[in-house]
Amino acid sequence: MTQELISANHAAAVAAVLAGRANRKARGFGGGAYPITPQTECIEYLCKQTIEKGHIIRVESEHSAMAACMGFSLAGARAFTASSSNGLAYMTENVFAAAFYRLPIVMMAVNRTLGPPWNIWVDHGDTLALRDAGWIHLYCEDNQEVLDSILLGYRLAEDRRVLLPVLVCQDAFVLSHTMMMTEVPPQERVDAFLPPLDLPHRVTDRPRTVGGLDFPHESEVHRRQQQEAMQASFAVFEECREAFRAAFGRETPEAIVPYRLDDADVVLVSMGTTASTVKAAVDEARLRGVRAGGLRIRLFRPFPEEAIVRALAGKKRVGILDRDLCPGLGGILWAEMRALAGRDAVVQNYMVGLGGGDIRPIHVRQILDDLLAREKSGAPVFKEVGA
Amino acid sequence: MEIRLHGRGGQGGVTCAKILAAVYARLGKSVQTFGDYAGERSGAPVRAYTRVSDEPITNRNKVYQPDHLLVLDLSLLGDDTVAGLAPGGTLLLNSPEGPEAFAAKFGAFRVATVDATGIARKHRIGTRSVVIVNTTIAGAFVKALGIGLGVLEETYRGLGLSSNFQAAKDAYESVRVAEAGSPAGTRRAVGAGGAMEGARPAPPPATAKEVVPLQEHVEGPTTGLRTGNWRTQTPRYVENLAPCNAWCPAGNDVVGFVQALGRDGEIAASAVLGRSTPFGGVCGRVCPAPCMEGCNRREYDGSVNIRGIERWIADKAPVARLAAAAVKPKRVAVVGGGPAGLAAAWTLALEGHRVAVLEGEPELGGVLRTGIPTYRLPREVLDREVEAILALGVEARCGQFLDRESVARLAADYDAVVLATGLQKLQSLDVPGARLAGVEQGIHFLHRVNMRGKAVLSGHVVVLGGGNTAMDCARSALRCGAARVTVVYRRTRAEMPAIPEEIEEAGHEGVEFVFQAAPIGFEGDGRVSAVEVAEVEMGPPDASGRRRPVVTDRKRRIECDWVLMALGQSADLGLLPAGWTIRDGRCFGDGRPLNVWAAGDLATGDGTVTHAIGSGRRAAGLALRELGEAVEVFSRPDRARAVPATDIRLDHFARADAARDITVPPAVRLSGFAEVSAGIEGRTEAHRCFSCGHCTSCDTCLVYCPEGIIRRTKGGYDVDYSYCKGCGICVTECPRKAIEMSAS
Repeated sequence: MTQELISANHAAAVAAVLAGRANRKARGFGGGAYPITPQTECIEYLCKQTIEKGHIIRVESEHSAMAACMGFSLAGARAFTASSSNGLAYMTENVFAAAFYRLPIVMMAVNRTLGPPWNIWVDHGDTLALRDAGWIHLYCEDNQEVLDSILLGYRLAEDRRVLLPVLVCQDAFVLSHTMMMTEVPPQERVDAFLPPLDLPHRVTDRPRTVGGLDFPHESEVHRRQQQEAMQASFAVFEECREAFRAAFGRETPEAIVPYRLDDADVVLVSMGTTASTVKAAVDEARLRGVRAGGLRIRLFRPFPEEAIVRALAGKKRVGILDRDLCPGLGGILWAEMRALAGRDAVVQNYMVGLGGGDIRPIHVRQILDDLLAREKSGAPVFKEVGA
Repeated sequence: MEIRLHGRGGQGGVTCAKILAAVYARLGKSVQTFGDYAGERSGAPVRAYTRVSDEPITNRNKVYQPDHLLVLDLSLLGDDTVAGLAPGGTLLLNSPEGPEAFAAKFGAFRVATVDATGIARKHRIGTRSVVIVNTTIAGAFVKALGIGLGVLEETYRGLGLSSNFQAAKDAYESVRVAEAGSPAGTRRAVGAGGAMEGARPAPPPATAKEVVPLQEHVEGPTTGLRTGNWRTQTPRYVENLAPCNAWCPAGNDVVGFVQALGRDGEIAASAVLGRSTPFGGVCGRVCPAPCMEGCNRREYDGSVNIRGIERWIADKAPVARLAAAAVKPKRVAVVGGGPAGLAAAWTLALEGHRVAVLEGEPELGGVLRTGIPTYRLPREVLDREVEAILALGVEARCGQFLDRESVARLAADYDAVVLATGLQKLQSLDVPGARLAGVEQGIHFLHRVNMRGKAVLSGHVVVLGGGNTAMDCARSALRCGAARVTVVYRRTRAEMPAIPEEIEEAGHEGVEFVFQAAPIGFEGDGRVSAVEVAEVEMGPPDASGRRRPVVTDRKRRIECDWVLMALGQSADLGLLPAGWTIRDGRCFGDGRPLNVWAAGDLATGDGTVTHAIGSGRRAAGLALRELGEAVEVFSRPDRARAVPATDIRLDHFARADAARDITVPPAVRLSGFAEVSAGIEGRTEAHRCFSCGHCTSCDTCLVYCPEGIIRRTKGGYDVDYSYCKGCGICVTECPRKAIEMSAS
């Protein structure tokens, strides 16, 4: 293991290259590259590497970037790409296709506000718009988790019980461009963790049709199989975490990550780096005698409903912090979770840090104060943080 | 511990923050470093941050209450810059002044100063206009925080920045620190995570700025952001020297007439061409076209066919210029009616002066008439352009060659004299048999052909030489009855001074070439029957840059019936009265300057029409200025200043072959002296011109400007400098180097 002072964008690229090289004894590595702020650093790093049996195609659009990944993956290569925001929007048709083809592609997405008007800062709305695309979603809290999730993602995606693509999400700039010391594992350990990919349905030199016509009786089975794979992936995710610990000698977080939750009365739920700020606010609240706790959703698809229900059992107040907005509904995380708290709990939605504003502990404290003052749930609240 | 940096885009503030983080990482601390993003264009204020802790860092907020602050650009220093800085915290400033200069305003802090810009400039880090100070000032900070130089050196090595370490070390050694005036404030403990605010006076809360409703965002090109103090450089539209203009010895505005043709047509183009030359039709046919050697398109897909364009313009729209009226007309005699003399006469007459041209031949034109065959230059073209000169009131006195006495008399009789007698002395061979019948000077042969109608030759004609005269002799000989013509040249084909197209056409017409052969004698009984040549090896380059021919003793005979020598010409200074000398184009009598100037080959020996024109214009200008006239004297531009091809954005231009001149098939043209070339077929060739250094209003700058603040004006563009951030994208994207950045 070496410690390197690198950004999370670089961490993602480093992980992709390690995973790619680990497949050198099989069908190699490939992907499509198309830059977009704030993902560009990742793709640039990737394109500079020389990878045995590896080939990164500089394509003309995100749509083609995913098409290239599908081609590589179908041919048995380990495939990777990265995008963000409107790039993901443009890629969307093929994002769905990759999942329907059951291809174990891993994509890194830097969460960035969708435009226009143009904004390059963090907002989770871009990847949450791909909620129903049939991908496994992981949201990261720190630099190390970005690197680890890419590696873990390949093992999870390539498991024969799963065979689903994995989306690893990280917050724009707050993660993507922030440099921290990151543990980079040696290639041998990655080789051991990621055995050569043997895609059961890979194309060979025998011609065959991929993605032909489905009649209703076929589609209903295919769709059910996607759901069964998603359900199966909970257990496989845990196995992968176990294998990760064995291979690299450290933990990678669970599907949901509690913080001082056990004895908490009031819980703040969030995704991504917001959870770090929640921890600081929870610590401060505890000093004031408030029994606060935090809960971070790391695995968003498949949605760890049972685990969340267990975590929130008996909690009196639950604040759900969304860095996204589904106009006409409210926060997407809130919409998914509001029925999972106890029957008597106050469950309140706060939209905070939309468009990338710096969510500071003081803002979380204000949210906590609002939540503590509530007797019953209300309409979603927009908590504006300014710059 | 939290550190904040304030710098400008391009100074490397984010990397500086990373260096500081790397230093602390090497000391075993947890570190985190990041920058502010979005305004990261050149010159924009940029902030960067570094956190250091003994425990794992989870706080990902920006730094609002730094323990230490670095200011990379002093123009950013103000109350809002130091907002939140802990009392007693280090305030490191990039300034040549000592910390005491800032004590009055920032005495509550521990002020440190270092001349990072000076040190970085000394070490040549960055460019002349943008000095990159990040790696330098980091050294000063490390010293101010009491960290050893060894750690700094290791850090630089680890980051691959060793080449910048000396600058950092200079900063380390020269930083000056003044401790805070007031007792150091209570430091916030170095701790994990985001401590709640309130320990220190909080920075002003983010004020609720007015937000434009979403539906109004569509008004205007983009959200306007005033420049403020963002900009350090400013784009300016400029006109740079095009290589064609720099290369043209006649001083033509080549890019001007080519662009005028493409944009406005023949009449407009002819007006531009006619500003600098009376010989567009002549040069459009016989010029060796140095402009095409300089053309930036040459290595891309072939030079623009400028010679063809010049001919097209001059033939389609011959320009008739009118002479100005001089207040006090001067009387000037021009000796020699060749291109230099005529160009001088034209320049003088246009200014309204009275000019007499004295020519020994019966008609004006010089070598254009006596030397160049009509299949290259039809006489009606020459006559047309000579007549246009005479129409300005120039008096022509032809038919008598002058002697030195009459030259001296002219100097006394006229206000000024321009001597342009050309190269009258012919190079001959001092070898056995040189006086045999059938061995003659090519110039004499061409004179006979051109001035007396057809000369008759027969059998095998050998032409000695490799210049344009040799080509003219060879091709004329074919038209005068020679059964076979062989050109014998000392060097290789690549070194032939003749115009490449002439060599090519001669080959098409059947002229044979013997290279690397030097004549060492002629054989024959009364009349030449063979040339004896020796094989030549190419030695090291001589002063002209061409490889020196080394004559060997390997000999051979070439049987022939006729020999034409075209071995070069030189100036005949026998015309100058006793005691006269020529220096820098002016005549001196016994060391004193005279009212006599030399022009053309007599002065320069360059041997082309285009050089002659430039030289004639210059001599006329020098003479007029000496006579007290306020005229601009033409001088050749400095080629080194021309826009190089590397400054042209080639991907802006589709590849397209040059339009070649249409030529009459060899079998047809050998039957007489009719013009061989019909020129180009149309004016579209002008559209291939890159317009190097000259704005064409192509809108590239306007399209690429990220601020949308470049607007069309009559004849060009306006930049709204109140919004321009100096990002330089317009300059980078300009296809033709017609915008440049300059320091604001």
